[in-house]
Amino acid sequence: MEAATRLYYRYFPEKLLGEVLTKRWSDNLVPAFAVLLVVGFFLARDPGFFSLASLTETSRQLAEFSIIVMAMGIVLLAGGLDLSVGSVFALANITALICMNLLGWPVWATIAATLAVGALCGAVNGFLIGYLRIRAFLTTLVTLIIIRSIVDIILLRYAVAISAVFPDSDFWFFLGEGNVLGMPVSFLVAVAIVLTWHVVLTRARFGWHLSAVGGSRRSAFNAGLNVKRTVFLTYVWSGVLASASGLFFAARLGSAGSDTGVGLELAALTAAVLGGNSLGGGRGSVAKSVLGAIVVLILTDSMVRIGISGGISSAILGGILLLVVAIDVRWLKNRHKILNKVYVSPSYFKLPEMPETDAGSGTPYALNDRLREVSLIGKGQIEGPEVVIFDRHDNLYCPNRHGDIVRFLAPDYDEWEIFAHIGGHPLGMAFDRHDNLNVCVGGMGLYRIAPDRRVEKLTDETNRTFLSVIDDSRLKLADDLDIAPDGRIFFSEATIRYDMHDWAYDALESRGNGRLICYDPRDRSTRTVLRNLQFPNGVCMVGDGESFFFAETWGCRINRYWFAGAKKGTCETVVPNLPGYPDNINRASDGNFWVALVGMRSPALDLALRKPGLRKRMATRIARDEWLFPNINTGCVLKFAPDGEVLESLWDLGGVNHPMVTSMREHKGYLYLGGLYNDRIGRLKLKDADPDWTSQEFYWGAENGSR
Amino acid sequence: MGLADFVATAAGRLMGGRGNSSITVPVMDGPLKPNDMLETAAAVLEEPGIDNLVMGANGLLASAGDRLLRLRAAGADAPQTPASFNAEIMSLAAHPDAAVAIGLDGGGIRLLAADGTEQSLVGGDKINCPTAMIFADANTLLVCNGSRTTGARDWPRDLLELGRSGSVLRVEVASGRVETIRRDLAYPAGLCLTPDGSLIVSEAWRHRLVRLPADGGAPVSVLDDLPAYPGRIVSAGNGGYWLAAFAVRSQLQEFVLREHGYRKMMMAEVEPDYWIAPALASGLSFKEPLQAGGVIRLGIHKPWAPTRSYGLLIQLNDDFAPVASAHSRAGGSRHGVTSVLPVDGNVLVTARGAGVLMRMDSRAFDDVSQSGEKGSVQ
Repeated sequence: MEAATRLYYRYFPEKLLGEVLTKRWSDNLVPAFAVLLVVGFFLARDPGFFSLASLTETSRQLAEFSIIVMAMGIVLLAGGLDLSVGSVFALANITALICMNLLGWPVWATIAATLAVGALCGAVNGFLIGYLRIRAFLTTLVTLIIIRSIVDIILLRYAVAISAVFPDSDFWFFLGEGNVLGMPVSFLVAVAIVLTWHVVLTRARFGWHLSAVGGSRRSAFNAGLNVKRTVFLTYVWSGVLASASGLFFAARLGSAGSDTGVGLELAALTAAVLGGNSLGGGRGSVAKSVLGAIVVLILTDSMVRIGISGGISSAILGGILLLVVAIDVRWLKNRHKILNKVYVSPSYFKLPEMPETDAGSGTPYALNDRLREVSLIGKGQIEGPEVVIFDRHDNLYCPNRHGDIVRFLAPDYDEWEIFAHIGGHPLGMAFDRHDNLNVCVGGMGLYRIAPDRRVEKLTDETNRTFLSVIDDSRLKLADDLDIAPDGRIFFSEATIRYDMHDWAYDALESRGNGRLICYDPRDRSTRTVLRNLQFPNGVCMVGDGESFFFAETWGCRINRYWFAGAKKGTCETVVPNLPGYPDNINRASDGNFWVALVGMRSPALDLALRKPGLRKRMATRIARDEWLFPNINTGCVLKFAPDGEVLESLWDLGGVNHPMVTSMREHKGYLYLGGLYNDRIGRLKLKDADPDWTSQEFYWGAENGSR
Repeated sequence: MGLADFVATAAGRLMGGRGNSSITVPVMDGPLKPNDMLETAAAVLEEPGIDNLVMGANGLLASAGDRLLRLRAAGADAPQTPASFNAEIMSLAAHPDAAVAIGLDGGGIRLLAADGTEQSLVGGDKINCPTAMIFADANTLLVCNGSRTTGARDWPRDLLELGRSGSVLRVEVASGRVETIRRDLAYPAGLCLTPDGSLIVSEAWRHRLVRLPADGGAPVSVLDDLPAYPGRIVSAGNGGYWLAAFAVRSQLQEFVLREHGYRKMMMAEVEPDYWIAPALASGLSFKEPLQAGGVIRLGIHKPWAPTRSYGLLIQLNDDFAPVASAHSRAGGSRHGVTSVLPVDGNVLVTARGAGVLMRMDSRAFDDVSQSGEKGSVQ
């Protein structure tokens, strides 16, 4: 049973579902599925529909219709509604016919005049709605009627005259009936328009403004966008596109019927919303509009083919509109809930039996009170000193949760100042050869602070993983770093699936969501060196110039990775089964290494790690404060030899002085303790340590002249 | 479980946790609004394991582990130990004639007379888990037998096993004859008699107080949906009752109770001290399960944090509606309130998890209940 669970969670890509849902394009999946369904259904029912002649004719209709739907989609995206597209379509049709047939204008002039008429209609709408702030629904309903009346008046007077004349223009004919490479001209033009608008909406400033205005008018205004003009322009473009569609219609049929474009607004609206454009604005794309257009067009055409009368097919269309609007509203409202339910995706993880930690057990982990004697630095003055580090003048540096680097001044560390402000939550720190302070900042990336306090971003992105669904190129939670002798900076990113403050979710998943990244200052490149690690945390050079230790927090183990030399690229587990969750690793003066255990394992949680389904239900059904959690109220400091043997442990039972230990640094005979959720820094006198040893001098040598 | 129940449970579970699958826990509000009264109450005596308080004819008695203690209500003096037993004392009841009945873990009930002579009243085969007892009259002892399968120490196991094997029994003192009043109760852990003679039992695992009809009919709930596991209940003398709640419910707990696979694996593989289960005291080992809200931040253990152990004493009115309460919250220590006894305008309270006997002025509760009422009106 447990084996089945293990295999399922190992090979079934459950987390993909959640990741796909975070994507904006996931909205398209339902309409795309609907397209397949509709096409499949009519293919099975009526194979004649897909003959070449039929497809050519359909693609002409599709070109006209999808341009209209796109016009509707653009208006919807900015939070509006354009009911007048059908009337504008009819007006454009009659305008083009008058220009060609009665006035005898050349084609280019006809096109210009038609588009201008469309733009004018759109501008009226846009002015009323954008600048005078009249309701879009009422305004476009009124213009729908008015423009329709104008069309009727024109028809009364010129319909006969128009049908009497046949324009003598090859280009006009080409526009309506011609083919290029076997494909209708109008279809190709529509494809070009679609592609252009896709680029505009997704890549261009105007498109982003549209989404912003539609998403939240007030925020867009506050961000300095010209909301009124943006809204105005959407209606103008809607009018232009509708008239372009009318133009093709005129060229194709050349008829001035009174029912041209009647009910088109309903079909276009149905198609736009069916495709996934939100009625509320802010969510929509060209692809959605086109998908919707295909479904609605095939539906209406097929209803005609199988003999459903016009009235009933309109009713069916209306019913579909009602249905998709309801779905749209519910989907918008519940999408984030669904996402919350499916995004967290725990995996199966079985830890070995926890090592004995009882006081009398005789293991190196046996409980003791050695940390109780710590004296405290900055108690109540500092919030969240995750790590501590010293410069060559014994000043103490630590980060806080406000994004500052705080400097406590030697020798007594009573006075402190803000050395630099970065932002985010600075986590790991290391001095390089030139006494620059390199900092991993949770939520931001890798930064460098020069001795003159100048802050410089080194990197905030790495290469994106091939075929990854979520964009993992940004650094979400850069955690700890160390610097190779050649200057390369190796740092850990704890998780790529969650942000800094949601790290608890990653604990719940206990999957390898983290990675190790290398920043090379020589060519300023960043690349990922190792993936799928369980919350990689502390990083510390072994000292042989070709490998480093790193801790996998949720994996309860310490690994060694070779970045150079004969074993380059290999990774070995050095300390496999810790009784707690390892955090930062640092050098000790006796050639061994310190590692902080940020929390201790609890048997109930270890058991829950073997029950991914349980953790998933826990995440969805109970409040986050009630979750079963790694016990980070008790921690300890361990010392281990380079070969992985754990030598000793330092505990503070009950966490009186130092409830949480995320890091420690040995400096001149003292051990300094940091903690992510602490309001203090601990300082402990080490009995047998070298009183002159400093990590900086040991690793980089005495003060050098290259500064 | 009947088919209808099964379908209802399955549907409730599928629909995201409704009905039986709901894991909501009532919030502590109104009369149960948290305060620090237990945490700040005067400690009369510190005695590890101090548990059941009763007022005997010759003074105050208490149990602590396997020992019976004789105390002075004022405290101060070291307690005398008139008797000790070979099993843990689970409950006491004072006989009107100065004798005292002693319920032992797995060992039945003994009667200790005022002159020190001791006799067995009921054998351990009939009553193995006497969680609470009272004398209805000189010849009738009413006993809650919490569970047929567990004893004093491992009551969390009975909760996790969804125990429904408790019973309320009537013991005829003269003959030692045992008669069952009601069986299949979910850990009855306290009982008292109302002035009109009806029997009230606290059914811990169902978080409620029930009235057991004299004719043996189905229990009638008088107070339900408690956010805690109710334990011993005593009459306040001047109207109303005191209810000791030995632990509080939590969402995680309710969740685990419905996760049968995990529940069973945990009982099989994890030491009982480290189960996801309520406890009388917590924070003793880092191996205990921690919940997210319990993480110490900037040196502070939040008092609202979910916790395995809690101190809660509830004052009820004549209709068993809560009117006031005293708390020791997460981060505090006076957890696991198991017994309460009104004495001369004071109430004596034992927090067994902390091993403390406390004295509180009952008028302090009037202030709390009034401020609570004001709060609810405004």
